[in-house]
Amino acid sequence: MADRHIIYLTNVKMITCVLQNGLGEDVLEAAKNAGAQGATISYAQGTGIRDRMGLLGVTIDEQKEVLRLIVSDDQADRVFEAIYLAGRLDTPGKGIMYVSNLENVATHIPQGVLDAVSE
Amino acid sequence: MRYGTFVSTYKIQRSKLSYNLLTPKPDPNNKKSLRPERINASLRDVYALLAPYIGVRIKDQLQAVVPLALYLGLFQVFVLDYPIQEATVLCLGLVAVIIGLAVFMEGLNSGLMPFGNIIGTNLPAKAAMPVVLVVLGMLGVGVTFAEPAIGALQAFGSSIDVMKAPYLFELLNNWTLPLVLMVGAGVGFAAILGTVRFIYGWSLKPLIYVSVIPLGLLSTFFWLTPDLRSILGLAWDCGAVTTGPVTVPLVLAIGIGIANSAGKGNSSLSGFGVVTLASLFPIMAVLLLTLFVYSQITPDQIIGNAAAVKDAVSSQVSVWEQTPLVEIILGVRAIVPLVLFLGFVLFVVLRSKLTNTLVTVYGLSLCVIGMCIFNIGLTYGLGAMGTQTGEGLPGAFIQTSLVASSPIFSNLVGIIVVILFAFVLGFGATLAEPALNALGLTVQKLTNGAFKKEMLMYSVAIGVAVGISLGVAKLVLDLDLATLLLPLYVTGLTLTALSSEEFVNVAWDSAGVTTGPVTVPLVLAMGLGLGKAVSATEGFGILSLASICPIIAVLTMGLLIKIQQKSKSPA
Repeated sequence: MADRHIIYLTNVKMITCVLQNGLGEDVLEAAKNAGAQGATISYAQGTGIRDRMGLLGVTIDEQKEVLRLIVSDDQADRVFEAIYLAGRLDTPGKGIMYVSNLENVATHIPQGVLDAVSE
Repeated sequence: MRYGTFVSTYKIQRSKLSYNLLTPKPDPNNKKSLRPERINASLRDVYALLAPYIGVRIKDQLQAVVPLALYLGLFQVFVLDYPIQEATVLCLGLVAVIIGLAVFMEGLNSGLMPFGNIIGTNLPAKAAMPVVLVVLGMLGVGVTFAEPAIGALQAFGSSIDVMKAPYLFELLNNWTLPLVLMVGAGVGFAAILGTVRFIYGWSLKPLIYVSVIPLGLLSTFFWLTPDLRSILGLAWDCGAVTTGPVTVPLVLAIGIGIANSAGKGNSSLSGFGVVTLASLFPIMAVLLLTLFVYSQITPDQIIGNAAAVKDAVSSQVSVWEQTPLVEIILGVRAIVPLVLFLGFVLFVVLRSKLTNTLVTVYGLSLCVIGMCIFNIGLTYGLGAMGTQTGEGLPGAFIQTSLVASSPIFSNLVGIIVVILFAFVLGFGATLAEPALNALGLTVQKLTNGAFKKEMLMYSVAIGVAVGISLGVAKLVLDLDLATLLLPLYVTGLTLTALSSEEFVNVAWDSAGVTTGPVTVPLVLAMGLGLGKAVSATEGFGILSLASICPIIAVLTMGLLIKIQQKSKSPA
């Protein structure tokens, strides 16, 4: 059996972004422009602020899109800001986002990329 | 680089704020103080919330209405050289359609759908199956009344010439309530049968045969009876009218809820079939109602009555029969019974509560308001627009008083132009229908990508386009509807027998899905206007042809894919 090798990636962060349904596409595009590789998208139900706003709550869709992006330390701030601006999170009701540190990330890393790094 | 991006990039100011400062602190004197308080939004926040909320919803309807209206208007002005009459009223009417639909759809989602979902999940657990099915059947009647396009049928009733089609006139003028009730009963029966089908996992094919064959026989009988022949167009059109934005989601929500609780809802095909049945049974119901009317009253009596009524009506029109009151009454009458019924089931039968009463009440009010606005738009926007174009169309090939330079083309070329116009209209209107996009995605998933979304959308659109062209050709050339419909349905049935279950489900449902609240009134009005202008007996039938043609188109496409895959696999 051939040798199996796990490469532990370090300096990895995850940006999680919970958005009102339908905003995901724009945000993802902006994140990619800022260097993000891609995202895992899931759909979820939100609760909380909607119930505390009375009738105005109907303007906030219960359906949420959750984007999870894995980025490097260097990228994190840039992508974070890009998402904030593209999603217009400074207006009410759009969504929330946060960054968390990840340890021991592992995945397939193409040989070409490894060679380029070691040079 | 965009200047806006440049400015915003350099304007970001970063500062930090501890979340501890924002969260409530425990207060020993007040036990409840930890619960987050109600938010009082500032005026600016309200604007920031409302603007996109309203904008998105209006935009959806704009996309559905404006291209169609532009196409019709431009064709009328530039090809037919027939100036748009009462352009201001027409534009206001279209605006009313857009706003009405936007308001109504939002009301549907936030008001009616929660009802449907709660009932669907809770009813089967708390009531016996027969009760559940009875409720479902009654719901069918309620949703039919609430369907925006059903108003179109009633609105155009007065345009029928009593001398040429006495029974059609009688049905649309004096029997409107029983007519809609019967259509509703058809939908209700379809909902019951469709749900039973989910539960026992029946195949759709035998159900189609069992419904279409008697329909064919009954239609043949009508066709052979001269007095009744003119009803066929209306009856077959009813099928397309009923399956709209209220019926489909509500009936499906409850049907799927019931099937899930019976433990049989997991089949990938659950949800399909109800639409098919809901577009077949109403046809049967209308035919049966006509038979009843036929046994009650003779054509001479109808003509006599109509003349008497005409004399009486011309003397006085009460305030209640004038715009906007009549539209408002129609709107309230459409929604309120459905809401009362759903409320009865929820509060009395289920003894359940709504999760968010305020939002539901808001949604229901939106439904009623939206329906009223839409009804006004129906009369002055879509209806007027369709009628005008329909009346102007014959100017392309015959001499009419409406179109100054008529006939614009020689007879044959003119007819071809009109049919081409109908083809493009059907194709465009269908592709713009949001429900079709959703169906396309489902189908792509179901068939693991063998049937691409675009393929479904284009085959349905071509089917509808051919159907509308055929319908217009029927009016222009004075063809007989039954001689067109019967062979088409025979073809449809033959293809059904040859196709696999998945494609049968998708194909038969696709027809009902494509005829939305914008297309239906427009096409109905156009047909009636055109029918009047070429002095055909009646202008119905276009929609029925637009229902069967996509079925054939999708089934054919399905068979082609099957053959393609077979020829690949042995190699």
